[in-house]
Amino acid sequence: MTASDVALILFPLFIALVILRVPVAIALGLSCIPVYLIEDRLTPFLLMNEMFKSYNSFLLLAIPFFLLAANIMNATGITDRLIRLAGAMVGHFPGGLGHVNVVVSMLFAGISGSSTADAAGIGSLLIPQMKKKGYSSSFSVAITACSSVMGVVIPPSILMVVWGGLMSVSIGGLFLAGVVPGILIAGSQMIAVYAFAKIYNYPLYTRSSLKEFVSALFYAIPPLITPLIIVGGIVGGFFTPTEASVIAVLYSLGLGVFYRTIDFHNISSILFNSAKFAAMSLFCIGTASAFGWLLAYFKIPLAVVAFLEPYGVGPTSTGLIVAGSFLLIGMFIDAIPAIIILGTVLWPLAEVSNMHPIHFAIIGIISLAFGLVTPPYGLCLLIACKIGEIEVKKALRDVSIVLMPMLIVLSIVIFFPELILALPKMLMAKFI
Amino acid sequence: MKKILDGYFYFLKSVLTLLMAVLIIPVTMQIFARYIDFIPRYIWTEELARFCFIWIVLVGAMIALRENEHFTVDLLPTPKTNQGKALSLMFVDLMTFIMAFIFVAWGWPLVKFGLLQTSEMAELPMVFIYIAWPLTGLTWILFLIERTVGHIKLFRGVVT
Repeated sequence: MTASDVALILFPLFIALVILRVPVAIALGLSCIPVYLIEDRLTPFLLMNEMFKSYNSFLLLAIPFFLLAANIMNATGITDRLIRLAGAMVGHFPGGLGHVNVVVSMLFAGISGSSTADAAGIGSLLIPQMKKKGYSSSFSVAITACSSVMGVVIPPSILMVVWGGLMSVSIGGLFLAGVVPGILIAGSQMIAVYAFAKIYNYPLYTRSSLKEFVSALFYAIPPLITPLIIVGGIVGGFFTPTEASVIAVLYSLGLGVFYRTIDFHNISSILFNSAKFAAMSLFCIGTASAFGWLLAYFKIPLAVVAFLEPYGVGPTSTGLIVAGSFLLIGMFIDAIPAIIILGTVLWPLAEVSNMHPIHFAIIGIISLAFGLVTPPYGLCLLIACKIGEIEVKKALRDVSIVLMPMLIVLSIVIFFPELILALPKMLMAKFI
Repeated sequence: MKKILDGYFYFLKSVLTLLMAVLIIPVTMQIFARYIDFIPRYIWTEELARFCFIWIVLVGAMIALRENEHFTVDLLPTPKTNQGKALSLMFVDLMTFIMAFIFVAWGWPLVKFGLLQTSEMAELPMVFIYIAWPLTGLTWILFLIERTVGHIKLFRGVVT
């Protein structure tokens, strides 16, 4: 079988199955089967083998742990403390609670590696509050969903762990590279909130006094130390990303015990829900790896390079191709299988065009972050809409407005690689 | 029948919760053993963690099937009639059934292979890991039968 034969079986079959509502993980596995059966050298046994190899990874253990840490943070009232701090910082800006939502997402992103936990935790606290204070439901939902995508851009990030593991890129380096784009995204969203506030005349609030700010800061210090422990620990070489994720779990559990907000009953439901959610994403990693293995076995990525090379590929044009592909696929499938499939396909192209592996990764991850809020499959948007009790299509207009300035951030990242590479080069020069 | 399935489902849920709690221990030991002298530095901690992890993924996949929570994409409009709805659901059931069958049929050689193999560090028989695939397949088939019966009732217009 040639590369094009295989591609013509794998992709149409996968797309058809997904459109007919077969779960993505199962569609990925099933589309491999005909290739295994037709090609004499392969057998469906390989599906199990690839799944086993992908699950048998110490690095991926970080995924359930980062989710668990985020869910514990939500249960222990740490999110409340962060909201109080954000309120004291930016609550008096025009569009107050909108800014609070963005800033709190940024702080939360520094603790958790998952955007969905961010959307669920912050949304359930802030969306009802925003509606009560007269913000429209669609705006409250849109800003919650869009700001939660910082969870995967600002370190720690589950997507960066997966990416680093799959393509052997330094995870500490990726974490550091995510800091600047994360802050830029927060800034771009605050501009969007400001514009909304001016157009719709959202109410103004008085500025918090210095005393209130200091006390809010004091209460938020224990959770705010978390990113320093996690990122510092990995960058400083004290522990591996997986170990860092366990430290995050232990630290948040410790805070929960200290604040007396956690007990046996809620901890067992937190354990169950985190494990189940992690398992669903991870199950998908297994079948996606089998799919990606077939792509690599039949040299489909090299065919893509051969196809595009005559047009002359530089880092910038490749960056645009990478961003476009990930934006498109992110609309339809979950970010992790998208990394495994598209990452495999585009990686040789990035290498040929002399793109820095970290630059490639950050463009991919930010583009996938958009996928979290774009329909038909935008998990964060679905969660936020559920909390805000509105239909997805009612939120779409406001979501697209908030996403506009974020697209500018994405293009800045594509055109100025030095901007994101400076921090890792400064702190981890040896590994970059 | 439903009672037995409910019982089995409850058992799976408890296993998942327990595995997640257990998973924390070996990794914690691994970190602290590096910095605190009196904690023994076992080399099997990493392997144990990985094996718990594989079971978490597959038990979670079993549970998610019954709760109907595996990620799907909503592109097509939902069929208007009950018959149409039932048919589209039964197509998904059939596809999932094929996947489950493959897990059992081609997972079985994996189990036989595992009987001869022990793990690298703790020297556990690998059967304990590989058996997870056929077991996932069988559990899925069990839950699929329950689900498809419901879908057939929907197709015939029996209101339950």
